[in-house]
Amino acid sequence: MGVIVKKVELTWLDRTYVWPVLQGMSITFGHFIRNLFTSTAKRYTVQYPDMKREIPAGYRGLHELKRFEDGAIKCVACFMCQEACPARCISIEAEEFSDLNLSQGFQEKRPAKFSIDMLRCIYCGMCEEACPKDAIWLRKEYEVAAYDRLSMQFGKWNLMNTYAEADGKEQLTQDPTPSVPRRTIAM
Amino acid sequence: MDKLASLLHTTPAIVWMVGKVVVVFLSVFLLASVWTWVERRGSAMIQDRIGPNRAKLFGRWPILGLSQLLADGIKFFFKEDLVPEAANKGLFWLAPFLAFVPALMGFAVIPVGKSFVCDGVTYHLSVLDPGNGMGLLYPLAIGGLAVYGVLLAAWSSNNKWSILGGMRASATMVSYEIGISMAVVAIFMTSGGYDPSEVIKAQGHLPWTWYVVRQPLGFLVFFTCMFAETNRLPFDFAEGESEIVAGFNTEYGSMKFSLLALAEYSHLMTASALVATLYFGGWQVPFVADPPVLLSVASFLVKMLFFAWVFVWVRWTLPRFRYDQLMHLGWKIMLPLSMANLVFHAWRMSQGH
Ligand code: SF4
Ligand code: SF4
Repeated sequence: MGVIVKKVELTWLDRTYVWPVLQGMSITFGHFIRNLFTSTAKRYTVQYPDMKREIPAGYRGLHELKRFEDGAIKCVACFMCQEACPARCISIEAEEFSDLNLSQGFQEKRPAKFSIDMLRCIYCGMCEEACPKDAIWLRKEYEVAAYDRLSMQFGKWNLMNTYAEADGKEQLTQDPTPSVPRRTIAM
Repeated sequence: MDKLASLLHTTPAIVWMVGKVVVVFLSVFLLASVWTWVERRGSAMIQDRIGPNRAKLFGRWPILGLSQLLADGIKFFFKEDLVPEAANKGLFWLAPFLAFVPALMGFAVIPVGKSFVCDGVTYHLSVLDPGNGMGLLYPLAIGGLAVYGVLLAAWSSNNKWSILGGMRASATMVSYEIGISMAVVAIFMTSGGYDPSEVIKAQGHLPWTWYVVRQPLGFLVFFTCMFAETNRLPFDFAEGESEIVAGFNTEYGSMKFSLLALAEYSHLMTASALVATLYFGGWQVPFVADPPVLLSVASFLVKMLFFAWVFVWVRWTLPRFRYDQLMHLGWKIMLPLSMANLVFHAWRMSQGH
C-alpha cells in the first residue's frame, strides 16, 4: 500500500526565505508573549517535587501484598508470580502454618519469606496478572528510592505495609493466628 | 574628573580612557553573562517551558532564575580543570582567551553615545576616539580573528570531533566574511567614510534615512552573515550534539568552557552593536536632532539589546541548516546578493544620488 506524499509547492515568496522566517518568528514571539503573562504554575511543565501529576488508573507502581481484614496475608505461596516474573526478582519461601486444612476452611500455606528485588523489577505487572488469589497488586506509589542496594530488597513485611499509611491501616509485623475460617467449602 | 586625576597623579585624559575601557568592557562582559540567562528564560518561554527557576539566592530569593547565573559561575570555578593527556597544553589553555578577547575587543570603536564637550575638552563615548584611522574595519578584522580561538580550541584538544567542529566553524566564517565585507563596503561608500561616527552622522536622526531603509538588501545580508560570524543557530556549525559530540569544545570543562561560552555571547553583543551602528543609526534618537547624551546612550542600548534579543529569538525559531545548505547559502546567495547591493549603490552614486 503506497502513501501519496503531497509535495508542497513553494511560492516565490516562500522561496525568498525571508517571509517564512518572519512568519515563524511571529509564531514564536506569540508564544513568548503568551507565556510572559502566564504564571509558571499554569504552564505545561509540572514542577515535580512541588506539583505532582495525577496518576492514571491502572498505573503500575510499587507492589502491595494484600491482606484480609484480620491482617492475615492473602498470598498462598503458590509461586505463580515467581514463575511469571520476567525479571526473576521475586523469591518466595513457603511454610505450613496450620494443622487445619482447606477442607476445614483454612488455607494451610503462606509465604514465610516473600521478597522482591525492587532494583530488578521492571514494573511489568505480570505478577499481578498471574496471581490466582489477587494477593499482589501494583499500585500508584512511584517514588521508590533508597541510599543503598540492600534497602531496595523489599521483604514480606515491607510489601504488606507499603500502602498501610496511605490506606489508614495499621502496620503489620507478624501474622495473626488464624481463628475464623476464611470460607466454607461444601465437601 | 580633574580631582580624581590629581588624586591618582595622572591626567584627566588617562582617567577618562581607563574609565571608558573598564566600564565598556565590564558591561559587555556582564551583559554577555546576563544574556545566557535571557537565552535560557527566553527559549523556555518560546517553547512554553519555564526555564531555570530553582536556584535561589541564599536559598531564599529565586529572582526569576537569575541566581542560576551565580550558581553556574561558582560551579564552573570550582570544577576540576581537566586537560586531555595528548592535548597541546599551551594552546589548550590559550584558546579560550583567544576566543574571548577578540569578541570583546570589537566593541572598542563603537560609539555608545554622543560625544560631548566639557570644559572645552571633547569627550567621546567610544573606547577608541573617532579618527583613529581604523574605524569599522577594526571590528570586522577582529571578528575574523575570533575564528582562531575556535580553531585553536578544536585543534589543541586533539580530538577528531573537535577538529571537525573547528574546521566547519572556520569554513563558515571564511565564506560569510566576504558577504559581510561587501555589504559593509556599500555603507562606507554611501556615507563617505569608514569611521563609525561618520557612518552614524550620515544616517541622521530620521528612521527612514537609516541604512536599514536605504539599503535593505545590505542589511539582510549583513544580519544573516552575522549569525554565521557569531556561530549561532541556524548556522552554529562549530557545535552539533547529534553529529560531532559537542563540537569544538568537547574536551573543555570548568572555567575554560564557560569562557568559551561567554566568548560566544560577547561576540553576539558586539555583533548586535555593529548592526545597530551600521544600519540603525547607532546612538541617534529617532526624531530628535540633537539628543542629550544620556538619551543617546539609552537609544543605543535599546537598539543593541533588541538585536541581541533577535539573535536569541531567531535561534529558537529556525531549525539548523545542513552543512552543504550553509555553503550554498553563503557562496551562491549571500555573496551575489551583497555584490548586487554594492554594484547597485555604486551605480546610484554615479548617477549623483
Ligand atoms: S512487576 Fe514484573 S518484574 Fe516486577 S515483580 Fe512483578 S512480575 Fe516481576
Ligand atoms: S502473590 Fe499470588 S501468585 Fe504470588 S505466591 Fe502469592 S498467591 Fe501465588
